[in-house]
Amino acid sequence: MMHLRFTKAGVLAALLAGSALAPLPALAAKTELTLGAAAADIGNLDPHYSASTTDRTLVAWVFGGLVRFAPGTTDPATIEPDLAESWESSDDKLVWTFKLRKGVQFHHNYGEVTAEDVVFSLQKSADPQRSAFATDYAAFEKIEAVDPYTVRITLKNVIPSVLGPLANYAGGFIVSKKAYEERGESFSRNPVGFGPFQLDSIEPGVAVHFSAHKDYFRGTPKLTKVTYRFLNAAAARDLAFVAGEVDAATGLADPNWLKRTQAIEGATVDIFDPAELTLLHINTKKPPFDDIRVRRALAYAVDSSRVATYRGAEFTRVAKSVVPSNNLGYTEDNGHVTFDADKAKALLAEAGYPDGLSVKMISSQLPSYESSNQVLQAQLEEVGINMELEPVEHATWHQMIRQDVSPLVSYGAARFPVADVYLSQFFHSSSAIGSPTAVTNFSHCDVADKQIEAARVETDPAKQLELWHEAQRLIIEAVCAIPTTETAGVWARRENLNWGFEFKGSMSLGPLVTELTHFTE
Amino acid sequence: MLPFLIKRLGFAALTLFCVLTLVFLIVRILPGDPALVILGDQASPASIAALHKRLGLDQPVLVQYGQFLLQAVQGNLGNSMVTGRPVSEEILAVLPYTMELTIAALILGVLLGVPAGVWAAVKRNRLPDYVLRFISLLGLSLPAFVAAIILLMVFAIQLRWFPVISAGTGETIADRLRQMALPTIALALIMMTYITRVTRSAMLEVLSQDFVRTARAKGASPATVVWKHALGNCLIPITTVVGLYLGILIGNSVLTEIVFSRPGLGKLILTALTQRDYTLLQGMIVVYTLMVVVVNLLTDLTYGILDPRVQYK
Repeated sequence: MMHLRFTKAGVLAALLAGSALAPLPALAAKTELTLGAAAADIGNLDPHYSASTTDRTLVAWVFGGLVRFAPGTTDPATIEPDLAESWESSDDKLVWTFKLRKGVQFHHNYGEVTAEDVVFSLQKSADPQRSAFATDYAAFEKIEAVDPYTVRITLKNVIPSVLGPLANYAGGFIVSKKAYEERGESFSRNPVGFGPFQLDSIEPGVAVHFSAHKDYFRGTPKLTKVTYRFLNAAAARDLAFVAGEVDAATGLADPNWLKRTQAIEGATVDIFDPAELTLLHINTKKPPFDDIRVRRALAYAVDSSRVATYRGAEFTRVAKSVVPSNNLGYTEDNGHVTFDADKAKALLAEAGYPDGLSVKMISSQLPSYESSNQVLQAQLEEVGINMELEPVEHATWHQMIRQDVSPLVSYGAARFPVADVYLSQFFHSSSAIGSPTAVTNFSHCDVADKQIEAARVETDPAKQLELWHEAQRLIIEAVCAIPTTETAGVWARRENLNWGFEFKGSMSLGPLVTELTHFTE
Repeated sequence: MLPFLIKRLGFAALTLFCVLTLVFLIVRILPGDPALVILGDQASPASIAALHKRLGLDQPVLVQYGQFLLQAVQGNLGNSMVTGRPVSEEILAVLPYTMELTIAALILGVLLGVPAGVWAAVKRNRLPDYVLRFISLLGLSLPAFVAAIILLMVFAIQLRWFPVISAGTGETIADRLRQMALPTIALALIMMTYITRVTRSAMLEVLSQDFVRTARAKGASPATVVWKHALGNCLIPITTVVGLYLGILIGNSVLTEIVFSRPGLGKLILTALTQRDYTLLQGMIVVYTLMVVVVNLLTDLTYGILDPRVQYK
């Protein structure tokens, strides 16, 4: 029989061999950044189709728009020049002329960005055959190149924000016309933009590799390489971050995770907007919730502060309206009621349910949804509402709630931060599920159509705000939905990694890596 | 031999056809819409309809089925609905990862499991036997991902011998081996426990047979008796277990792949399922079915090599 003998020398040798193999700590400031993300793979990097968090995060490094949100914010008031140097509008706000910066270069030697590329990109964004965001451009009548450095946009009617659909977000990204025409379908895996980083290669399911765009118009990026690694398992991602194999990683909006991560030496946590607003949508057209008293009872029965505390106060705020708090047009002065069990019970009794009632809710099995829904379930039980949760897999849930089979729908979403978007998609009757123009109006709400429509074409900013405020008041009054929580995005980061700006928000839902991002030390 | 092969391949083709039809129907009955996954939850019905048309999902199911079969017969598995790349390319991109891990775990599992089983049988009801039986019981009851996390905590975080991310394409062979060491060990441990148990019980049976006593009586050394005469007669059950387990290993390595951040077939099929990527799912089922068929065939053929008495009819 074999006999193993462990000697001190043997163990020491093994340890030494191990440490020799371990990565050496960086002495000089690194120029290669590795991120670990909660994703399995990329979907589509044609920016006009990029819908997932990962795809949105990555296209924001590769592409730019005519204008951009100041890095680190999601506030439309910060929108600043990107490719466009300056712009002006006609007095009636229907014709907009943009002057382009000269000498801006596309990646991979695709030449200078000209008005032709801008026109091509925006026309593509507006075409439902070539874009997922065509509805954002419904009011765009004409997009034309006046000369190589001038673009003129003519609108059919005034819209709440012209710069919004032209910013570095969704359909606003400018693609290289030549590259798109050459690469065709494969453009979605070989994107060409003029952003600070160009895509080098994709290892399916492993990583996406980027390198600095040396001719970037704001200057050569300080980082030379960026690797975006797919580390979908939270445990694996945390371990990779602890071991220093990634410099930043997607976090979990979970108080225990936060405590654990902050305890790691040299680690810090970024918490950023847009916070996802979760609303409890109530089908106002079907019993028992076609009775406003039952809906009001539900509004009194929900104590959002308990859900927020459970999810972690650092990332989760109590929601106070039916549009997210970072939106232009948001108001808290809307008549939203706070928790009151007695009032809830009294209203239920008045509506003919003195012994309470039972209601079913189909819910997603995603952990974040599941835990919040369970807290909600426990709360409702206290006032006599027995909410039966029917958990289904996430994609199944998405389809079932669009078939009107769940009287209650708890739905979290972040949108372009102008109230019109959230109000239109969730509360305008034309978005009601089941209709041919359905989006996500699960409550069949129709009480604020007039205000939402009027706000879209209102040219006086103060009046426009007032219309949005009024819409929120009407929706809250009719209890189409009950605001529950707002959950911010969260990433862990090594302290020696400096994004180059204060990371308080990101329209791309993940860290924006810019020409200024660098390592200290 | 040849009629046996032809018959087996015929059965394989029939199995494949049935599995394909089932999968084709099941993924379409399943709720969830790939277009909604691709376009996101703000998509308008118009763009969803446009995408349905482009993906061919607006056609009647029978027409889709016909087209799918026609393509499959020509060896074309279609394009992934989500990435637009050919399904065969998607699968071939991750197949090497799965194969290298499976084969490495298989070799390690056999190298550890067979001697351990033999040793336990020889030392029956003595300390080594108890220890090995305890270890193998532990291996059987410990879920794969728990073992994987423990390995990572000890060897990647505390000792720092191996990287946490085990998916690298190492530049040298040493790099590559170092990167795949932990997932290999995690899978091999499970493989080993199965093999140890089967080897032990097969050896116990064989060691009590007459020919072993005869071999000892004619003066063969204990080592020759155990390793040549006895073990030689245990190889059929061991091969059966290895063959069976290989199929499981290929399909069930998904947890190992997730914990060690490695790409692989298990992870790919999970993604395809959550994204409702119908074409990719169908293609992967073809590959899985083919693998099981091939492994079974190889196992059957190995019996003939191990035991000349086995006849293929």
